[in-house]
Amino acid sequence: MDASYLDLLMAQQEEVSEAEGGGGGVWVVADLLDGALAPVTLQALGAARTLADSLGAYVYAVLPGSGVSDLTPILYQAGADGVRIADDPSLASFALEPYLAVLSDLFAAEKPEVVLFGATDAGEQLAARLAQRMGGGLIEHVTAVSLDEATRAVQATFPIYGGAYFEIAACPQARPQFLTVEPGAFPTPYLDRYRSGEPKTLAVQPVEAAVRVVGAAEDFVPPAVPLAQAPVIVAVGRQAGDVELARQLATALGAQFAGDRGARDAGWIDASRIVDVRGVTVAPRVYVALGIRGDTFHNAAIEEAGFVLAVHPDPSAPIFEVADLGLEADPAEVLPALLEALK
Amino acid sequence: MRIVVVLGRVLDPAGIVVNARAGRVFVNREEYLLQPADRCALEAALRVKDELGAEVVALPRSPLPDDDVLRQALALGVDRAIYLTGEGLRQADDAAMVRALKAAIERLGGADLLLTGATTLDSGQTQLGPRLAEALGWPQVTAGWSLKVADGRAQVVRQQGSQYVLVEAMLPAVVTLQPGSLKLRYPDGARLVNIYKNVGEIAQALETWDAVELVGEPLTPLVEGRGRDFPPPRERGARAAGSAAEMAQAAAAALRQRVGR
Repeated sequence: MDASYLDLLMAQQEEVSEAEGGGGGVWVVADLLDGALAPVTLQALGAARTLADSLGAYVYAVLPGSGVSDLTPILYQAGADGVRIADDPSLASFALEPYLAVLSDLFAAEKPEVVLFGATDAGEQLAARLAQRMGGGLIEHVTAVSLDEATRAVQATFPIYGGAYFEIAACPQARPQFLTVEPGAFPTPYLDRYRSGEPKTLAVQPVEAAVRVVGAAEDFVPPAVPLAQAPVIVAVGRQAGDVELARQLATALGAQFAGDRGARDAGWIDASRIVDVRGVTVAPRVYVALGIRGDTFHNAAIEEAGFVLAVHPDPSAPIFEVADLGLEADPAEVLPALLEALK
Repeated sequence: MRIVVVLGRVLDPAGIVVNARAGRVFVNREEYLLQPADRCALEAALRVKDELGAEVVALPRSPLPDDDVLRQALALGVDRAIYLTGEGLRQADDAAMVRALKAAIERLGGADLLLTGATTLDSGQTQLGPRLAEALGWPQVTAGWSLKVADGRAQVVRQQGSQYVLVEAMLPAVVTLQPGSLKLRYPDGARLVNIYKNVGEIAQALETWDAVELVGEPLTPLVEGRGRDFPPPRERGARAAGSAAEMAQAAAAALRQRVGR
């Protein structure tokens, strides 16, 4: 499989070969997002490729859906040696029982060694049901994998308390080993245009879903997320300039709007939204500080933030010491371009 | 109607300090909370009980060294709580727990609805609910935001893509609830005092069953721990260079990568 570099030089089409008769292999169940392959599927294929190369096994991808056959070349390019398509109108949108029927018949025949899913709504439901049905172990939200060569068991790392630390677990005996891969944890593999193959089509018996979708829940209002638990926060300070642009950025990112003590004094936010150890201590995945100088109290309150983007005109502002990316500029200059780029 | 609620506990993250350099997690204050999502499942069960009348039975989601979680559930209004114990249960993972819980539900004489949390606060496990649904052969609705029971159906609001939809499953069914989905109630004072003093009728409601005896064979886990890992130290203080437009591009790329998932 690793001859792809040579093939690149020779500009030859590589016909991917796969084992006949099944048995083992690393399998990836593809997930669709608005009719295209979900990014996590390609990331899982990359992880599967690494595992399969150390195991000496093949990588297979399963693509359930309706009218999805034109997506198969990407699966080969991302590292699959074999692709199975289950193309049926009953699989057009995710419903547990029809998908489960296809996958459990396939895996009962093919006896995979490792099965990877994306840790998405569909992936999590399918992985748990299949693991229970087939007597396999399931490790969820995997962010790294390695191989225990003695037992051919995958050692998978998963985050505890959202990544404060990680546990490593393995499934030494039971097969298949099911893993759900955390989106964004693995790099998207290089798409090798010279890899290709002929996918196999699976027979699909339509199965009735057990859960009926009644319709949109129009009168349902999701409970408000407190600022302390918000996943994304846009915060403003004295140097924020045009606060309306900052509000637009918050809307564009689906973020909560907050500020430092200076923003409250300017009347842009109310006292319940001050990010400060004396106000609200936050732990968002992304924190955007616009025109916040960053005093000790503010910076201590954002210590748990996953990624801090700071925009401030003063290069010596203390906020830059805690920022993962600092922009030495007036927010009023940067924001219009930033809003445009995010569209 | 009988509703089974599966509850777990979690070490309060405010009481721990992670020292990546020493490669250790220090527990400064060992305090356990009811798993937030399980707490919502319990609330949903009690709301169904208040509206339609039901027997609510609490069971543990993982091996517990003590029955405090079940006492909390009893104080909140559960009718029965069953503490599962037994040599060989201590190492149980979700797959092994499912076997014990299935046997316990059979001994209870079945159930009409099984509720549990959609995810755990610490390890983010979502598999217990679906695994139970598979073992019991029931339909499942995961990650629900609200629950209503009417005409032998469970009606659940859940998120699909970017919108909220109402879905419906015939009972018996497994429903898992999102953390923070429901407004929680406070325990009843008298029940709280009595259950912790072990007096009155409520003390009779807490039973202890031997899980290994229930299942009839040892509960060997499928997944075993292989140690811990710590995130690398963060490098801070990076600055974008160039004109305002170039800086905006760099910022947009960084934000898109982290927000858009």
